[in-house]
Amino acid sequence: MPVLELSGAAVEMEGQGQWSDLTLSLDEGAACALIGPNRGGKTLALKLCAGLVTPEQGAARLFGQDLNELNEEGLAELRQRVGTVLQAPGLLSNMTVFNNVALPLRYHRGLSDEELEPLVMVRLEALGVAGLRHRFPAELNQGEARCVAIARALSLDQELLLLDDPLEGLDALTSRRLGEWLQAQRQSRPLTILATTRRASSLLAMVDRFAFVRDGRVQAQGRYEELLASADDGMKDYLQ
Amino acid sequence: MSSIVKVKPLGEATEVTTTDRGPGAVVAWVGCKVMAWYAYIADLMALVYLSLRELANPVERVRRTASGVILRQILFTGVDALPVVSAIALMVGIIIITQAGTQLPKVGAGDQIGNIIVVTVIRELGPLLTMFIVVGRSGSAITTELGYMRVGQEITALELMGVQVTRFIVMPRMMGMILSMICLTLYFDTVAVLGGFVVAKLKLTVPFAAFAKAVTQSLSVTDLVVTATKGVLFGMAVAAICCHHGLSVRTSFTEVPQQTTRAMINSLKICLVLDIVVTVTAYF
Repeated sequence: MPVLELSGAAVEMEGQGQWSDLTLSLDEGAACALIGPNRGGKTLALKLCAGLVTPEQGAARLFGQDLNELNEEGLAELRQRVGTVLQAPGLLSNMTVFNNVALPLRYHRGLSDEELEPLVMVRLEALGVAGLRHRFPAELNQGEARCVAIARALSLDQELLLLDDPLEGLDALTSRRLGEWLQAQRQSRPLTILATTRRASSLLAMVDRFAFVRDGRVQAQGRYEELLASADDGMKDYLQ
Repeated sequence: MSSIVKVKPLGEATEVTTTDRGPGAVVAWVGCKVMAWYAYIADLMALVYLSLRELANPVERVRRTASGVILRQILFTGVDALPVVSAIALMVGIIIITQAGTQLPKVGAGDQIGNIIVVTVIRELGPLLTMFIVVGRSGSAITTELGYMRVGQEITALELMGVQVTRFIVMPRMMGMILSMICLTLYFDTVAVLGGFVVAKLKLTVPFAAFAKAVTQSLSVTDLVVTATKGVLFGMAVAAICCHHGLSVRTSFTEVPQQTTRAMINSLKICLVLDIVVTVTAYF
């Protein structure tokens, strides 16, 4: 059973007068990056998987459950297994970095401060932001905020990670550190990743396959080399 | 005549619009307004119901997460408001007691001073003026805070983490607001009556014992229950309205002041209607 499955998910694409028709499936432990032009449907696919957008036709399923058929509580329950970071990191502005990462653990697991400390710090240290633990989101730069958001998205050891342009705003060192950390997470447990990017090269070390999304459709998918070999000129621009 | 009712998810305003442009347009417009208000009240009642349901949630970790937010809300809405409530209560107390103490004896009703104070200050002005202060101070802050959280995608991030907004955001604010409103109303009444009397004593000749006796004789258990009931209802209404408008902000920062203004106006309107309902039910 696939961890993530979009089957003919159709949504009217804003301002474009056309409907999406997204079909994609990821098995447990797979890591896939969506590439393609702006407004081609990459973020839409991610939002469909996160349950932020409901398809008018077709279905979005996570862990075999149709998101459309879940009530609010069922969706909240399912989302504990999914970590999502959108383009805006959405860190709570009135909480410190530490408390932001600790929030899901406090809320869902009811852990005490003593229990939280090692769990949160190991994530912050792995991403190189442990020194920022007492800072508030307004005091972080874009890359730091993104790292904290990713640390929070995996604080419950989620099984599926949805990342919208994860390397945007990150310097080379932080990008490498994030890639290595995600690889380590994937090696230690079955973590499935779906990410979007505008530059395939930036995610080469992080994912094992790419899907080219244009006009609201997955037009081609496969390993990087396979995709590059079969790509038309329009697709090559995004792959190279 | 054709109308469209679009009911959106919780926290989003329900839209009622008409496409009718013919001779029945006025009737359609009135109908839409009525339906919009009906939908608005239904949205608010749903928010109150969901918050109360969360309050009854037996899970210990949920209570623990919420209790911190409730305490912060009580600190901001209740404790931090004490200076302004004290000042306004004192000034209102001076005005009412001075007027009652100087004018009533002229018409031979000097013995009615206790009654006048209970009716004007404890039954009506206390709850209403406290509500005005809380709406202006804390209600606007709640709407603004939630509006900015919505635009900054903090609310979306909470939802994506499986954190339920009614449990984490609305219920603690509602409970904090209700408890603060009850305490502030009783505090307002006490300061207005006692503080007002002490200051007015400089000009009045009524001894404190006689004044206290007149007030306590006029004050019934019903008055206290009605005052506390108004505190509960006003707190519930203000919190629900302000949270609803804050969560109704969509994508733009410019929506925040617009929703805050709406929240203020609607809070005042709905609390005045609730005040009439409670007063008529209790005393008519």
